[in-house]
Amino acid sequence: MVRGRTLANRLLLTSALLALTVGCGFLGWMRQPRELRTNPPVLADLSRFRLMSNGIGGAPPESYFAEAEPYENDAYNLSQGKRLYTWFGCAACHGDGRGAAGPSFLDGWWLYGPEMVSIVASIRDGRPHGMPAFRDRMTIEQIWQLAGYVQTIGAYSAKVAATGRNDGPQTRPSENRAPAVMLFEEGPVGVNPDQGPSP
Amino acid sequence: MTPLDNVADLRDTDLNDVELDRRLASTWATPKGVWGALSTVDHKIIGRRYIITAFVFLALGGILSLAMRLQLAQPEARFIGPDRYNQIFTMHGTNMMFLFAVPVMEAMAVYLVPLMVGTRNIAFPRLNAFSYWMYLAGGLLLWIAFAIDTGPDVGWFADVPLSGPQYAAGKRADIWAQMITFTEVSALAVAVELVVTVFKQRAPGMSLDQIPLFVWSMLVTSFLIIMAMPAIMIASTALILDRLVGTQFFNPAEGGDVLLWQHLFWFFGHPEVYIIFLPAVGMVSTIVATFTRRPVFGYLGMVMALIATGILAFGLWVHHMFVAGLPRLGESFFTASSMAIAIPAGLQIFCWLATIWAGRPVFKTPFLFVIGFMVIFVIGGMTGVMVASVPFDTQVHDTYFVVAHFHYVLVGGAVFPLLGAIYYWFPKITGRMMNETIGRWAFGLIFTGFNLTFFPMHILGLQGMPRRIYTYQPEMPWSGLNMFVSLSAVILAAGFLLFFIDAIRSALSGPVAPANPWCASTLEWATSSPPPAYNFSRMPVVGSLEPLVDNSGALPVASGLFVDRRELVVTSVVGALPEARESSPGDSIWPLWSALATTVLLIWSIFTPWAVVWGSVPLAIALTGWFWPKGTKEDDA
Repeated sequence: MVRGRTLANRLLLTSALLALTVGCGFLGWMRQPRELRTNPPVLADLSRFRLMSNGIGGAPPESYFAEAEPYENDAYNLSQGKRLYTWFGCAACHGDGRGAAGPSFLDGWWLYGPEMVSIVASIRDGRPHGMPAFRDRMTIEQIWQLAGYVQTIGAYSAKVAATGRNDGPQTRPSENRAPAVMLFEEGPVGVNPDQGPSP
Repeated sequence: MTPLDNVADLRDTDLNDVELDRRLASTWATPKGVWGALSTVDHKIIGRRYIITAFVFLALGGILSLAMRLQLAQPEARFIGPDRYNQIFTMHGTNMMFLFAVPVMEAMAVYLVPLMVGTRNIAFPRLNAFSYWMYLAGGLLLWIAFAIDTGPDVGWFADVPLSGPQYAAGKRADIWAQMITFTEVSALAVAVELVVTVFKQRAPGMSLDQIPLFVWSMLVTSFLIIMAMPAIMIASTALILDRLVGTQFFNPAEGGDVLLWQHLFWFFGHPEVYIIFLPAVGMVSTIVATFTRRPVFGYLGMVMALIATGILAFGLWVHHMFVAGLPRLGESFFTASSMAIAIPAGLQIFCWLATIWAGRPVFKTPFLFVIGFMVIFVIGGMTGVMVASVPFDTQVHDTYFVVAHFHYVLVGGAVFPLLGAIYYWFPKITGRMMNETIGRWAFGLIFTGFNLTFFPMHILGLQGMPRRIYTYQPEMPWSGLNMFVSLSAVILAAGFLLFFIDAIRSALSGPVAPANPWCASTLEWATSSPPPAYNFSRMPVVGSLEPLVDNSGALPVASGLFVDRRELVVTSVVGALPEARESSPGDSIWPLWSALATTVLLIWSIFTPWAVVWGSVPLAIALTGWFWPKGTKEDDA
């Protein structure tokens, strides 16, 4: 009797451990790994997004969805984008995200829409009225990382993945705050006259 | 039914030995079944669990180190990528320091100290159960996070700003910081229990100058834990706050301080080395005394050296920060204090040598591990004096020289004595002997493998190979030695494998051990192997440092304790004069519920600060249940 119970206990413990191991393995296999060197074919595909003829909106490459939209949902890529924001001098025109010579991101007003491809196209190809093209200065992956970060600055909905604050002066709400839509009672209606030139 | 059942408040004075053992067993034994196993507060069962869990973590950490050696065996290897490698070296260090080295030393103490001071259970036994569950939860948190590719990747000391909000993306650093909280809570709990056990629960007559050296070393270690661990808990909490709620503790632009992290971490981190080393010193003293058939030379000097090490341990943390850019004068001071700690360490080494010189050494496996400890630890101590010098440290900082140094100190200074201690106390814990032949083989393989693995790392470091690189170019002059080191690591791993096989095999089917197989002199050998749930049938009375030698066969005992409730003797701090009969809490499931509630709170708080508010509700309920009077006889006293 006692022996039977010990055996049952052992079986219980073993199966619990086994379930834990298998569960962890499965979760680990499901999660997207942090890519420090992305697969070259996947990288090359990042340039093949399709833009609408007016330059606003479009479709990312199929492989982007196959990879579960890493530049929007992955904290590592977002934080890389944040570093690129500093390194490539975005702050010179866009300030800390509130805008200066260039438009603000923080207020949630998107001149070319909030889609990733629009932001990627803006960075890669430049835009009228002063936005330079970074095509020859950044790799396409860096452009996607930066675009993902810029999008979170003025995001409309909360995300699980977010960058942390910088070790610098804190001049505005951090990116992992409540989304930009909460800053506006009515939401965006028409073009904001303070936003600089319209498209 | 015997007539004695009707006697209210039955005491051990009224009973013969057989009847006494029967009644004590029914009072103290842990009930069978899952519920009994989950609610037990027996220090021997919890200590055993602690030891086994810690050795499982040792094996896991060892597997990680083999993976790293496989990757580094040749230049430009493709076995592990850079991101995974960062996680692996962080996991290896964190696991070995926080989940193996400190807990396993405390685990040995949880098992042995109550036996060595001749009492029936550790002080605060429910806190003891709670501390084990916290430790287990912390270990699972870290390893499950690693399994799902969220393992920390910021190094085992997680320096800011690399572990701060700007550079450590995701939840990896938060998991590291919260794992710290788990293990520190458990370590602090055990430290408090040990201090109280040693001060207030010693056998009558065991005055302070008659406690075994292992108990002294655990007492000093416990004080080190109590004073050092709060620093790291503050640091890791500040890190989590910086990362989660936007505080600026480590952000200089907003009035924080980057170096604050290093000061807080190493104010804990250096005493941590002695938290690991001092218990090992106690184990060595115990083993040396037993296997040379004489007491350790210079008992007073040994105790003073323990205390001096403990005090000096808090005065040299800055030598981990020599390249952080601190004032010259400060660096010189900490060079001097770092070299000064070689004095008490050297004193201990010479006392052991004198003991061996004057005794009649018997070279059994535990003693072999002690000899191995002395050789390796002295080499590690000498490179320690080298890196205590600022110019030299500046040269070898963050190279493999440092890796070699601290493996010599930590593996030599703690793991060798620990393995010796396992061979030594295995018969007491399991009631079975380990195999002497396999033990000698295991020692030979581990000693050879260790030196062949880690000595060349000194040379690699002097050749400029940095720590924490996941690969290196073929042009570097490191590939030959790295291949040699990796092959030697296989020998080391084979030694550990042999040890694990021997331990498991002996626990299942080793020869049955007598009560005192080594003819040792301390109290834990006065009871059967393994000890009964109540440790001693009657409370021993001690009049000398070596109670089992000086009383040839018959140990004087005290009597007058109740047998129908868990009761033990409380004695005075210095002279161990009996002061009172004190009841000892019985089994309870509430420590487990409390640990689960704390676990939920701590893990939840990685994601939202509101977890501290809402998570405290179940914790408060669990603690209320824990402390609610249950109407047992133990509550009366």
